[in-house]
Amino acid sequence: MTRKVILIGSPNCGKSLLFNRLTGLSQKVANFPGITVEVASGRFSDLEDTTLVDYPGTYSLQPISGEEQVAVEQFQQGLEDPDVSHVLCLIDVTRLEKSLYFTLQVIRECERRGKPVFVLANMMDILAGHGLEVDLDGLSRELSAPVLPISARTGKGVPELLCRLRGEAAAGEDPWPHDDGVAHTPDVILRGNAHQLARKYGPRGDLLVRTQTRLDAFFLHTAFGGLAFFAIMYLLFQSIFTWAAPAMDAVEAGLGWLAGLVVPLVPWQLGKDFTADAVFSGLGAFLVFVPQIFVLTFVIGMLEDSGYMARAALICHKPLRVFGLTGKSFIPMLSGVACAIPGIYAARSIDSPRKRLLTYLAIPLMPCSARLPVYTLLIAAFIPNTTALGGLVGLQGLAMFAVYFFGMFCGLLVTGLVSRSRKDHFTDLPFVLEMPPYRLPAWVPLLRKAWQRCKHFITKAGGIILTVTVAVWFLGYFPNGGADLGSSWLGQLGRFVGPLFEPLGLDWRYGVAIMTSFLAREVFVGTLGAMFGIESAEENMVPLVNYIQASDLGLASGLALLVFFAIALMCVSTMAILSREAGSWRLPLQMFAAYGLAGYLGALGVYQLVTLLGG
Amino acid sequence: MEASMAAGNKAGMTTAADSRAPRSLWSLRRGEGGVIAGYDDSLAEHYRVRLMEMGFHPGETVTCLQAPAFGSPKVFRVSNTVFSLDDEVASHIKLESHDT
Repeated sequence: MTRKVILIGSPNCGKSLLFNRLTGLSQKVANFPGITVEVASGRFSDLEDTTLVDYPGTYSLQPISGEEQVAVEQFQQGLEDPDVSHVLCLIDVTRLEKSLYFTLQVIRECERRGKPVFVLANMMDILAGHGLEVDLDGLSRELSAPVLPISARTGKGVPELLCRLRGEAAAGEDPWPHDDGVAHTPDVILRGNAHQLARKYGPRGDLLVRTQTRLDAFFLHTAFGGLAFFAIMYLLFQSIFTWAAPAMDAVEAGLGWLAGLVVPLVPWQLGKDFTADAVFSGLGAFLVFVPQIFVLTFVIGMLEDSGYMARAALICHKPLRVFGLTGKSFIPMLSGVACAIPGIYAARSIDSPRKRLLTYLAIPLMPCSARLPVYTLLIAAFIPNTTALGGLVGLQGLAMFAVYFFGMFCGLLVTGLVSRSRKDHFTDLPFVLEMPPYRLPAWVPLLRKAWQRCKHFITKAGGIILTVTVAVWFLGYFPNGGADLGSSWLGQLGRFVGPLFEPLGLDWRYGVAIMTSFLAREVFVGTLGAMFGIESAEENMVPLVNYIQASDLGLASGLALLVFFAIALMCVSTMAILSREAGSWRLPLQMFAAYGLAGYLGALGVYQLVTLLGG
Repeated sequence: MEASMAAGNKAGMTTAADSRAPRSLWSLRRGEGGVIAGYDDSLAEHYRVRLMEMGFHPGETVTCLQAPAFGSPKVFRVSNTVFSLDDEVASHIKLESHDT
């Protein structure tokens, strides 16, 4: 029989790090359908048949937001599970005052259900590093629960914890549960008790926040802080290009080599054409972008782990408030730069329903990584690859920065307009955000997270892309065996959608690619890859950008395409998640129609303007 | 230093500041400290509770660590935890009448 151990703690107390240490990074993240929190579980690496279940951190078991409500309910349900043998409540000893009330609540709930709880005093190493200490024995007596010193970062204290979980109790320990516990103590008394205990046992002085304060004086400085913010954001976008480029080239070369190896082995001409055009040109065109997604996730994760993200939220709060948002919208919006879906999930941390709704409106306009293949392709096709300052500043990177900035600008424009036109439909809550200490990111879990995002991207989007690519190839290859794309079934279909895109200077092939990309934006490159693959007699894999440069697509149309992709909401999964989070399909459908129309009109305007200017 | 100031208030010292409206947390400048007197009634009950859960108890000393320009949220230290609060909430937290 597998037993379970619950891990819980308040936010920013090092829970994920301890989880990864105890389970040896065997984390499985389960995103429960229809609800808002991620509960992770993994097997203990040094404890047989035991699973560690990690619950999201909250400040209290008395929820004030929908997100916390779900987290608390999940935890309560978890306690009812007969397989749960122990509860581990992690506290940050350097900041006892914010952990103790929550700890007392957890102890109370565990007492009510007869579940033994271990309080794990994390960051003992940091405390010792400053020559400070906390009387854990005294605290243990007052809490009526064993308090074990631990360091999630160094692993100190973990063997002792495992001994305890194996049932080897320390000498002189009280039996559980206690008669004089807190099972019947109301919240208000617990709050007072926690406050008293924190005053009695908490470390004194400002030693622990001194480094943080010094760094904040720089990162939140009026001039330097602003400069640092823009520099960090700029490096983020440059890194997508410069750091990922060698890996992208390698993937492209690898696929080309594989195609050269595999295609001649396929027996019939039909099979050869299918493998070359549908599989390698279509699916390959999209696989090339995996390294960029990896770099983006990695850099965003690095900013989160280091503690800078909370500072960025603070810096952005006042400007975002002008547009009806809050500094807390910054993290969901920046996550939206990776993918709208985690962005929408992250918006749950915005406790104000009004600001959450406005953030939902902005997220799909954030330049997500699915747009990245489209942007990269179009920029590579139309913007010259020149660099300055020893490769630090590239024209293509600058163009990417501009198109990303354009998406963000559109997002803010929409929320600004909507927040002014819809006055008080929803309740509002003020801005309170914990500023975590600056820390070095935990590199291995970070790399793992980036890899998992890529895997998710490949398996989730890959399935859709392969299906669409095969369908597009099939329609484009028959009935004339790939002799003429224009007279194929796809060509006939293209003539229906063609007139819609002619005003943008786009021929029917791009029209078809746009229509298929309503499933997911990155399908655009797959569809184009398959179509150009059929058209050319080339047996080897040719980069898609060469085909586009060879087609008679002008600069005006290229820019129009960029604008259309920046604005239009073209992702079925985003709409599905949004409908679940917002509680109805009304919001995503309204957004789909409005952003689609705005994208088309914006593209039309840009095309006409650039054509007029002689582009 | 702050403790002695709080004691000064309790001793009933009358200063010019007493005649002014009670100061709020938001009025603290960088490097200044104050003792929380209580909350404004206009702050919703559940938010008052949450602030107390985070450590903003009446009687607790709060220090303003950073006060960025342009009215951005200020950074406050309560015990060893650091929070950022904007004027919408910090102006509802009242301080005991006089500190520097």
